[in-house]
Amino acid sequence: MEAHFEEEDHHELNGKLDLIQNLFRHASSQRELDRLPQQLDDALVGHHGLAVVVTDGTGNIWFATSGADFPHRLLQVCQARPAACTEETLHQWQKNGVSNRGIAASITAGDGTPYIVALVQDIQHHELFMDTFRSLLGIAIALAALATASLGWAVTRWGLSPLRKVTDTVAGISAERLGARLPSAGLPAELMPLATAFNAMLARLDDAFRRLSEFSSNIAHELRTPISNLMTQTQVALSTARNSDEYKEILYSSLEEYERMAQMVGDMLYLAQADNGLLRPGLETVDLSSETTNLFDYFEAWAEERGVSLLQTGSASVPGDRLMLRRALSNLISNAIRHTPQGHTVRVTLETPGDKAVVVVENPGPEIPAGHIPRLFDRFYRVDPSRERKSDGAGLGLAIVKSIVEAHGGVLSVTSANGVTRFQLTLPMPGG
Amino acid sequence: MKILIVEDEPKTGAYLKQGLSEAGFVTDLARDGWEGLQLAKEGHYDLIILDVMLPGLDGWQVLEGLRRAGIEGPVLFLTARDQVEDRVKGLELGADDYLVKPFAFAELLARARTLMRRGQAGLEAAVLRVGDLELDLLRRRATRAGRRIDLTAKEFALLELFLRRKGEVLPRSLIASQVWDMNFDSDTNVIDVAIRRLRVKIDDGFESKLIHTVRGMGYVLENDLENQT
Repeated sequence: MEAHFEEEDHHELNGKLDLIQNLFRHASSQRELDRLPQQLDDALVGHHGLAVVVTDGTGNIWFATSGADFPHRLLQVCQARPAACTEETLHQWQKNGVSNRGIAASITAGDGTPYIVALVQDIQHHELFMDTFRSLLGIAIALAALATASLGWAVTRWGLSPLRKVTDTVAGISAERLGARLPSAGLPAELMPLATAFNAMLARLDDAFRRLSEFSSNIAHELRTPISNLMTQTQVALSTARNSDEYKEILYSSLEEYERMAQMVGDMLYLAQADNGLLRPGLETVDLSSETTNLFDYFEAWAEERGVSLLQTGSASVPGDRLMLRRALSNLISNAIRHTPQGHTVRVTLETPGDKAVVVVENPGPEIPAGHIPRLFDRFYRVDPSRERKSDGAGLGLAIVKSIVEAHGGVLSVTSANGVTRFQLTLPMPGG
Repeated sequence: MKILIVEDEPKTGAYLKQGLSEAGFVTDLARDGWEGLQLAKEGHYDLIILDVMLPGLDGWQVLEGLRRAGIEGPVLFLTARDQVEDRVKGLELGADDYLVKPFAFAELLARARTLMRRGQAGLEAAVLRVGDLELDLLRRRATRAGRRIDLTAKEFALLELFLRRKGEVLPRSLIASQVWDMNFDSDTNVIDVAIRRLRVKIDDGFESKLIHTVRGMGYVLENDLENQT
């Protein structure tokens, strides 16, 4: 803006200089020169704030517009250094608080007489304009900023209000109140997937917490029974004197109880390791069919005694941990043998459809009621709570199978229909 | 046979000492790592049973100290921490075997005997005998009182294990791991059934029984007549 005014002033002053120069150039006689001041007055009248001074070669003032006392300084500069005195150089200075711009130049009259002309423009009106402009601009900017900020605040507040509602709900969720869900009604489309995902996460957490608390109470229950047995037995034993055979009998009975507890604790530790991600399967190639053969070998006598036959078909190899997979298969097979009626067959089928290996362990026998299926792999979960403890372990076998399969990145599922219970173990077989 | 037990838990230490002494071993008991290392350097032990969690030096440090001192005897670790890293660490440091607490005493006894036997390479007998029972390892044939007994491969392996370790009580877990390579506890009575069937074949119809149940512990192969004389 400032530069623009400067250029405009320079241009205007140059215009006037040209005019004056022109008048001088045409004045070739003394008579014409004498008429020049009048002509200059006429030419310069009505130009507010413009002052012109003309000096002759000796420095005497030859012409000056009224009130034109201030260009003197400019003329002195010009006399001292004529080189600086061209129309190209715009001078600017302040005097008595008034800003001026001016140019000076040497001109030659028609008869060859040299003169120096100084033109000075009072630019107070520009300054005034600039000041007003500046303050107006400042106010406008301030107002715009204020408007933008408040509008932005309002829009953000309005736009984020669903998120605030979500936040309030989330803040109210604790381990005791996992039943809360985010309201999906009235949410903008962008937030719907978030709410759905969040609700799904809550449902999983809720489920996990429920299982965990059940697990804890189950542990307490499972340990309380043998401990109370041991205590009662010992108290009864001590209540009267007995012979050593009787004591021996009591100790043996205690030992059985201890062993069962030790195995349960061992299984629980194994599961705890799985929970903490400490079960890291090795990656050797495990031939599942030879593992099955070995396990059949192991269980053969037991199965035969129960009148159950074992049948194996197909083959598959997967990368994994031999001991862990063997343990998983062992649990499934012993479980199947246990629930097969006399005279029937437990079947293990190995298949490799695509890039996975599928192991199916199936046995005919009483179906598992549908309501129990989703919780079958829960720890300590028993289909029949009244079932004799001794025959069924601690109810951790299938939970261990699930942990092992999941540590291998596989999936364990079960179906029970038409008198056949079928456990299916799907393991990834990269590059297979 | 001398065994050093390094165990800080007073009850466990006392019972281990009593049990091993009663099994016929000479035993010393150290209550912490420093004492254990000291005793191990002075006495010549055939086996050191080392708890991992010890005051002073822990089990790993004791083992390192032993190996630095040039003591290469077998070391059996007892660990309550059933964690993979621990096992790896122990075996890397040169432990020979480990048992996770709680363990069956019969299991400890069997493992200890295995470790101590490792040092003394005996002549591989081609025929194993107890009483009138003979097991020909080369021809894979079993006879009792001159009468041929038909055994399946696993029954043969089972009987061979009993004969090699006659007089020792073998816990079920050891039998499962030695004969079937099953290294985990099963909640089935598979081993009992297998032994019952083996018994029918070798003991039925004979006056003296060879395979005996040791309640709460496992099974043992023993000739009653030999024991009496």
